[in-house]
Amino acid sequence: MWLTFRATFIRNLITMKRAYPWSFFIGHILNGVYLTLFAYLTYHYVFDGSLDSRFQQYADTGNYLSYVISGALLYTFSVSLLMIVSRAIISELREGTLEALLLTPSSRKGYFLGYLSQGFMRLSLEFVIVLIIGGFFGLTFSNVNIIGTLVVLLVFIVSLFAQALVLGGFMLYFRDTYLTQNTLFMVMGLVCSVTFPIEYLPNQIHWIGQIMPLTHGTDAFRQVFIEGASLSTVGTSLIWLLGLIAIYFPIGTIMMQKMERHVLEKHFG
Amino acid sequence: MLEAKAITKTYTVKQKQGWFKREKQQVHAVKGIDLTIEPGEIVGLLGLNGAGKTTTIKMLSTLLSPSSGTITIDGHDAVQDARYLKQMVNMIAGGERMLYFRLTGKENLAFFGRLYGLNGKELTARVNALIKLVELEDAQDLPVERYSKGMKQRLQIARGLLNQPHYLFLDEPTLGLDAPIAKQLRSIVKDLAMEQNKGVLLTSHYLEEVEELCDRVYIIDKGTVMMHDTPANIINTVVLDYRVIVTTAHLNETFKHDIIKTASTKQLSIEFYDTGDGTVWEVTASFDPTQVFLDIIMTHHQPIFKLEMKMPKLEDAILQLAKERSA
Repeated sequence: MWLTFRATFIRNLITMKRAYPWSFFIGHILNGVYLTLFAYLTYHYVFDGSLDSRFQQYADTGNYLSYVISGALLYTFSVSLLMIVSRAIISELREGTLEALLLTPSSRKGYFLGYLSQGFMRLSLEFVIVLIIGGFFGLTFSNVNIIGTLVVLLVFIVSLFAQALVLGGFMLYFRDTYLTQNTLFMVMGLVCSVTFPIEYLPNQIHWIGQIMPLTHGTDAFRQVFIEGASLSTVGTSLIWLLGLIAIYFPIGTIMMQKMERHVLEKHFG
Repeated sequence: MLEAKAITKTYTVKQKQGWFKREKQQVHAVKGIDLTIEPGEIVGLLGLNGAGKTTTIKMLSTLLSPSSGTITIDGHDAVQDARYLKQMVNMIAGGERMLYFRLTGKENLAFFGRLYGLNGKELTARVNALIKLVELEDAQDLPVERYSKGMKQRLQIARGLLNQPHYLFLDEPTLGLDAPIAKQLRSIVKDLAMEQNKGVLLTSHYLEEVEELCDRVYIIDKGTVMMHDTPANIINTVVLDYRVIVTTAHLNETFKHDIIKTASTKQLSIEFYDTGDGTVWEVTASFDPTQVFLDIIMTHHQPIFKLEMKMPKLEDAILQLAKERSA
């Protein structure tokens, strides 16, 4: 598994250094910055700093800008990570290298982890840049629980990885990336408490937010990062994330295996 | 030995019926093929489009599982022991697939080498040796997107040999290549079988290539084996016509009449074409008619400008089979 991991990591690193369009990198950062700026401008110039009385109750914080900026930060991060991992196999299919890959006795786990790790390297840079920019627009760093933040991010990343496998399975089934991923990202933006608490939405659609790792990831991240809460405070969110990992990971693994066969039969048969 | 016994492959495809309705249909791509490949042997797999060649190769290379039947290598089952088989086989396809265009030749081989479990000095040594084998030393550090077709195909061969496979499947390996490059590839394939004792399965639309390289040929049609033998035996079995082309001085009517009479007696088919240089006779018979015509020509004291025996080729055999099938 580790040789496959290493092979994929090195290959993706070389490809990124040689051919990665830096406009993508800037584009991802700008997404986060636009969300931050939008929140800042509307908060100060449209709402004049006043919040709905329910906000504090729903969001467990009165710091609206930190709430939105941290949501934007994790949303951008999630979208990028989901894209990196979920598009791996379909990209091989499109580039004509899937057969060569599947001919080898390589570990699929190692392959996806290689993708995840190399992608994480780039995303960390984007994350830090958006975080710093967020600092200028109201994101507070005074109460950060560093250990708690790292633990939450680690669990969150694993849960996104598991979700990306499922998304990748759908992409292979529909033989499409654009519509499949953007449908998910649009729903995530709406129901995952990115810019407003999900409680503002009708109860009937809350469950959609509950099955998204982003909802629980942002919730826990805000607690430990903005409020400086302890890990025990965010225990419920962490349990949700672990539960989603336990569900998405086996489903994603089986789906990927089935879809690889499906694609081989449809595409090459 | 690689052995496929009664392998079949059935796909389920959905056919559109109007706007919303879709009907499932079963397509039997392979309907029970038996096939063997011995180490050191080059075996051809021929058939018209849609015969099931590619599906058969994908099953032999573990990319697809057979719907029924078994594929074994030295007793190891392809489905139950797929990991072992993946170490024992590899596939090289024609065209410009199966390589990462943004990586250099060397980086491509290093990537795939690691996927086959190679590492450190062993990986470096294997990659360097293969780069040398396919004569890509000067281009090893160039991105593949800057390679010519021939260079890409040679790199594919190197990729296909990374795991030192015992059996190699070549799916149209010389597709679209210039004649000198194709010849070089054929020479590499011959060496792989003769010197490295690898079993090779070859599909190609260039039938002269198959005739030149293969020890045995399977001809498949609609998912079943139509014929299986050496190229020479297939030709002898299928192509029953001998063709002789003779060019002489322009024929006078007496001579022509004599020839037609003899042709009728001996049950030969004959056609004449007058050219600037003389008359060309094209004779087709179920036996070698050379002696018969030499006798007539000698009787009439006619000079022979040119005498050509057209030996039947594998291509003639395939065309004949296709003709019989469509009849």
